[in-house]
Amino acid sequence: MTTRRNFVGTASGAVFAGALASAIGFHPLLAWAGEKSLAIPGKDGMLVRSARFLDLEMPVEYAADWITPTHHFFVRNHMHEPSTLDPAGWKLSISGEVEKPYAISLTELSKLASHSVTNTLECAGNGRGLQNPKVPGVQWGKGAVGTGTFSGPQLRVLLERAGVKSAGKHVMFRGLDQVPGKVPPFIRSIPLEKAMDADTLVATHMNGAVLLKHHGFPARALVPGWIGAASCKWLTEIKVLDKEFEGNFMSPGYRMPNTAAKPGEAVKPENTHPVTALGVKSLITSPADGAALKGRAIAVHGMAWAGEADIARVEVSTDAGTTWKPARLGHDHAKYAWRQWTYAWQPQKPGAYVVLSRATDTQGRVQPDQPVWNPSGYLYNAIDQVKVHVEA
Amino acid sequence: MSKLKLLLVLLPVLAAAPQFWAQSPSLAVELPPGPMKAKATTACAECHEARIIVQQRLSSAAWTKEVDKMVKWGAVVDAKDRDSLIEYFSANFGPEQPVYVPSRTSVDKRQK
Ligand code: HEC
Repeated sequence: MTTRRNFVGTASGAVFAGALASAIGFHPLLAWAGEKSLAIPGKDGMLVRSARFLDLEMPVEYAADWITPTHHFFVRNHMHEPSTLDPAGWKLSISGEVEKPYAISLTELSKLASHSVTNTLECAGNGRGLQNPKVPGVQWGKGAVGTGTFSGPQLRVLLERAGVKSAGKHVMFRGLDQVPGKVPPFIRSIPLEKAMDADTLVATHMNGAVLLKHHGFPARALVPGWIGAASCKWLTEIKVLDKEFEGNFMSPGYRMPNTAAKPGEAVKPENTHPVTALGVKSLITSPADGAALKGRAIAVHGMAWAGEADIARVEVSTDAGTTWKPARLGHDHAKYAWRQWTYAWQPQKPGAYVVLSRATDTQGRVQPDQPVWNPSGYLYNAIDQVKVHVEA
Repeated sequence: MSKLKLLLVLLPVLAAAPQFWAQSPSLAVELPPGPMKAKATTACAECHEARIIVQQRLSSAAWTKEVDKMVKWGAVVDAKDRDSLIEYFSANFGPEQPVYVPSRTSVDKRQK
């Protein structure tokens, strides 16, 4: 069976130890006497949606700071991470509909002017596990989202150096994801206009440090305000195309129905469009769902973001949506980053409460009561809620 | 209580709760018992672990699409096993199953 070999090749020692333990048949002792949870270097207390391929979710209560520490930043991989990465041999090629195709080394790349963008990165499938009826895919809860400061040269500087021809309309990214079997490679494209935006980067750093391998070392695309899948990791190839890239991860992958689908309804491919920018969304990060609370002054905390738009306001309801009160937005602010918010809640009597949060953005978009169902469960952004109990 | 004593006390309880092992993250998550378990493990836990499968809650129509997609992507499934495999996944990971509770990675002490 190839399973074991793949474990050795791709997973961490802890996973391998687990596989070994199950092979020799005494997992109870091993689980109790030694390692009790999967160790992923550089990651801390994350929810394991999948260990191989690695998909890690941030527990929502970790989202306390405006900038998410890297050890709490979610990880989404479609396939295996590259087993070897050699920064000295790494090259990024720029080709396709350009005058002068070229390749650039990491040393040369690091000499270009670096630009920083603080961006809320969210997986298109964040919240998929909350959709009904259920749809296939990683069953994310609420935490496939985080905010980081990404730095590196602007993509447009690299493209301008190659000279984009007038036929060039889309920019394709390809990275070093290790593709198993006959799985289609993870290749996607973004429109030229977004690629030329001053804030679209080839990022080499995250939160002031060199990118972790899980986040795309040595370089990744950073397409701010857009779904995480646009920001291809372990980037090695940029190709200017005359049309949108055709491949599994552009279609049928990462597409939304043009008109609202009824929950459970099939949608024809010709009635869909690519998922690009994120929607308007808020998250209650404290109190936790199911919390038992004491006292008559309870601070409700959360985050709100809206992709390429700004958050206009966040409102909180503590009476199941009958009345809404404005939350106070935090002062930390950047174009593509979430806003922190707080609401000083003074429950009048003990009992069970449903606390709701609802964000509105500067484009007038408001979080819906019900999620917008679609066959792949993308862009879940229903009003957030936690159920709490206020004790006497 | 020492870890060993605790283990001795809990062992019968744990043995009766296979779900516990399924959620212990240092161990490879196993597919549920059944005549298709071995074949499913060989065919479907090669590229990725079983955890990706056990967290799904899908109708048999959706499982059919999923198995066919994975076969197209390289999963080795004997044509005569396809239907039983779909039945096995639908029976164990249908829409009525409780939501999968993920485990957590350990605390990375260097981050503290
Ligand atoms: C050749 C490699 C390979 C084999 C073998 C394989 N899978 Fe997958 N599977 C993948 C990849 C790659 C993904 C992730 C795709 C993504 O994240 O977009 C995946 C994802 C999934 C998912 C999540 C939903 C989705 O479609 O993304 C399920 C469920 C799944 N596989 C089930 C199975 C089953 C059941 C089998 C056995 C019949 C199987 N897989 C065998 C490669 C494989």
